[in-house]
Amino acid sequence: MSAPGPAPPALSTERLTVRFDGKAVLRDVSIEIPLGRVVSIIGPAGSGKTTLLRSFNRMNELIPGAKTAGKVHFRGVDLYAAEIDPAEVRRRIGMVFQEATLFPKSVFDNVAFGLRAKGVEGDLHGLVEEALTVVGLWSGGAEVLDARALDLTAGEQRRLSIARALALKPDCLLLDEPTAALDPAASAKVESIIHALRHECTIVLATSDHTQAGRLSDLTAFLDSGRLMEYGATQELFTNPRNERTESYLTGRLP
Amino acid sequence: MSESRRAGAGVAIRGPIGAMGVAAALVTMAALILLTGVLLVEAREVLDWRFFLDPPSRVAAEGGVGPALAGSLWLTLLVAAIAVPLGVGTAVYLAEYAPPTRLVKAVESVLTNLAGVPSVVYGIAGLALFVRGLGLGPSILAGALTLTALTVPLVVVNCRKALRAVPDEFRWAAFGLGASRWQVVRDQVLPAAAPDIVAGCCAALLRAVGAAAPLLMLGAVSFTTFAPDSPNDPLTALPTQIFAWAARPQEGFLALAAGASVALLLLMAAMHLVLFAHRRRQRGTSA
Repeated sequence: MSAPGPAPPALSTERLTVRFDGKAVLRDVSIEIPLGRVVSIIGPAGSGKTTLLRSFNRMNELIPGAKTAGKVHFRGVDLYAAEIDPAEVRRRIGMVFQEATLFPKSVFDNVAFGLRAKGVEGDLHGLVEEALTVVGLWSGGAEVLDARALDLTAGEQRRLSIARALALKPDCLLLDEPTAALDPAASAKVESIIHALRHECTIVLATSDHTQAGRLSDLTAFLDSGRLMEYGATQELFTNPRNERTESYLTGRLP
Repeated sequence: MSESRRAGAGVAIRGPIGAMGVAAALVTMAALILLTGVLLVEAREVLDWRFFLDPPSRVAAEGGVGPALAGSLWLTLLVAAIAVPLGVGTAVYLAEYAPPTRLVKAVESVLTNLAGVPSVVYGIAGLALFVRGLGLGPSILAGALTLTALTVPLVVVNCRKALRAVPDEFRWAAFGLGASRWQVVRDQVLPAAAPDIVAGCCAALLRAVGAAAPLLMLGAVSFTTFAPDSPNDPLTALPTQIFAWAARPQEGFLALAAGASVALLLLMAAMHLVLFAHRRRQRGTSA
């Protein structure tokens, strides 16, 4: 599994184990995310989907009591090596959290935050508008930039949180339950954004809606109790699961 | 947010619990109004502009709170200038930077305990440390340092609470966008916690301004003919002035004590106004 193909995978883990206060949430997970693909991580609540996502851009270490063992590589670079700046990791591997948690500021300030933190000088309007265009929040009118982020609808807030991550032009995008708690129309918009983004970056998507995994992803991984039970082409995993836990989960029989 | 809270209060009046709450609020307000009223009645003969500027006098009718008011203003400014940066800085370090080691937890619990120590104990410590140890004598500066020692733990405890109230998701959102810890704290956490931090600092300062016991321990004077105009001048303040006047047996001095209490309440009200103005501005810009 560790032997890389001609192009190194965008992201890979090797025997990754993450513990919170001694309790293992991920156990021995080894997975490769190929460059330019959309990969879904499915599994029951508490199976470690979010923790796996967060280990790809070193977010877990912000939680007191978190311990990471094993390796995580980004294009062959050890992300947890001492000389790696976690802020730089998070710029290259962007993340959209389950809760939009927008800053109580304007739409512009929300999108510009990451750029300013990076130290981008000068006029940020072009970059901000570009990111807003991708998520369909930019229609040429300047008034949206000054709108307060918290006044937007839930769907718009979610798309703004995606734009905020995209403004940094990440190589990979980690999406945690990108359509949770959205109505069908808003979900469809978010899904079409994800679909369009597949050409821009590698996407890892954690979702508890496996039909969404089916619609969006090239590959799907099934996590259960912190273990990677099955990983393969989405079509294959859905129609012909090799693991009986996967099958139970997909058919709704998993407790 | 305030609208919904207000609407919620309107609903809560209905029902027995709501009625009890309203009754309790009315009793509290009545007590406050009664207290202020009694003070104003007692002080009616001494309250005029002269009273706020003149020094105390042997003759009750000629006495004023000029030096004591100036002393309290000095103390407030000095304590605010030292205790707020020190306390907020400590709270930010403890809440945002310090790893949860045993040492840090010990420091936190020591500070929490210090915040509950009776103020008179700080007076003894201040007398030994600042008045005698550093040889500052019973000066405004010695008083300010003693009150700072009393205020800092309160500021730390209040501000730490304010910072803890900012949800972690907020920090993660900023970290996730490649912000450094300082950028997260400066640009997101501190602005989000600012209203509670200001309120917490004000509450701590109000306690310092109202404290009489530690200043009495230091040897505050209640009879000085000139207002202090440097931190090295003799220590005098409104609470100790009230105490000294109230202890005099002669008739007229009780009115002076009441008048000085009104002056102290006015000073505290002025500090509340600062807090209020800050809240309004906050609401205007972000909310």
